[in-house]
Amino acid sequence: MKTSRLKHGLGAALMALGVAASWPVAAHHSFAVYDRTKTLTLKGTVKTFQWTNPHSVVWVVVQPEGGGEPQEWSFETTSPGVLTRDGWTRNSIKPGDRVSVEFNPLRDGSHGGGLNSVTLLDTGQKLTASFAASEKPS
Amino acid sequence: MKTLSLRALLLLSMAAPAAFAAAGNEPTNPPPTLSDWQSMAKLPDIGGVWTPLISDQVAQERTNPPPWKPEIAKQVEHMYAEEKAGRPFPVIDHCFPTGMPSYMLITHNAFEILLTPGRVTLLGEGDGNRLRRIYTDGRPHPQDPDPSFHGHSIGHWEGQTLVVDTVALLPQAYLAVNEAVGVPNNGDMHIVERIHLLDGHTLADDLEITANKLLSKSWKTTRKYIRQRAQKYDIVEGVCEQGSYNDAVDKDGNSTFAPIKFHQGVPVGSDSK
Repeated sequence: MKTSRLKHGLGAALMALGVAASWPVAAHHSFAVYDRTKTLTLKGTVKTFQWTNPHSVVWVVVQPEGGGEPQEWSFETTSPGVLTRDGWTRNSIKPGDRVSVEFNPLRDGSHGGGLNSVTLLDTGQKLTASFAASEKPS
Repeated sequence: MKTLSLRALLLLSMAAPAAFAAAGNEPTNPPPTLSDWQSMAKLPDIGGVWTPLISDQVAQERTNPPPWKPEIAKQVEHMYAEEKAGRPFPVIDHCFPTGMPSYMLITHNAFEILLTPGRVTLLGEGDGNRLRRIYTDGRPHPQDPDPSFHGHSIGHWEGQTLVVDTVALLPQAYLAVNEAVGVPNNGDMHIVERIHLLDGHTLADDLEITANKLLSKSWKTTRKYIRQRAQKYDIVEGVCEQGSYNDAVDKDGNSTFAPIKFHQGVPVGSDSK
């Protein structure tokens, strides 16, 4: 059995079994994977809004500046439960909406990011998600 | 359906005598009496929905870390370095329950406390509606309980405080201090909690964690939760694995789920390398 530098956990077990992916199909990962020293902005058209636990995802088709093939980007935010309390609904963002997204990027340039805000360009509505509201009682 | 012959029934009863034990030998949960329900009305008002005070979680992580054994501290140091480098260790990625004690230590999601006769139940929202059962009917821990992610918990009231004792945790259950830093307890972990109100809208869980394979001594730490009475905080269904899928339609026009593409543990566009 292959030895692993990771000494414990499911990740280590998977590696020891020789499973190709070094990460499990990762639904509930830490947002530390996104580079929080950088905030970027991209504009595009919403493909879908995945309203799922533990992380909702806004899928956006971006036309790169200077031409080229359209890119599909995924911007992750928190769970529907938390988003609802920040005023979102599963219909807040719809396929076809033109949006501007502020996000923390992946370090290797892959088309994904941790969502900071989404602005609906046709209405001007800006959606953000944070835990701040849930730090106060109601 | 074919009915069993008398001979077959007789053979069965000889093979499995425990199944035919006389009534009264097995412990039961008696029906609650009016007095049981009335005495519940006098319990501290810890029922309802609570959200974790995340800013305090972060502060506690910094100011009161667990007293790790030296060899464990090395692993923890490595995990912090990896987190800083953007390669967070997947403590909770697998969609298994976060388990105890990590659920109380690091959850970012609301949960509801349900008070019923003989029972305090904690129903979580994130990652599959996690469930903690705390038996307050006076029963002891079983002699040889099956290990589980949340363990076997028994509790009793000392004045206004719910004192909970938890054993029988799966050795794989993490002692985590954040979503990227945690070590499985590796067996031999015991948790005592004192759960009480700090004021009308703040709940405190004073945990004392003894984990002989990880910690050089018992670790005391507190986590706080904020009361939410607004209905928008009602606990909703949360299915962890669902995050790995987007809505789709199959070739027959049936509604289904299609897996999304992951890279380094996060979703990426389908055209990503």
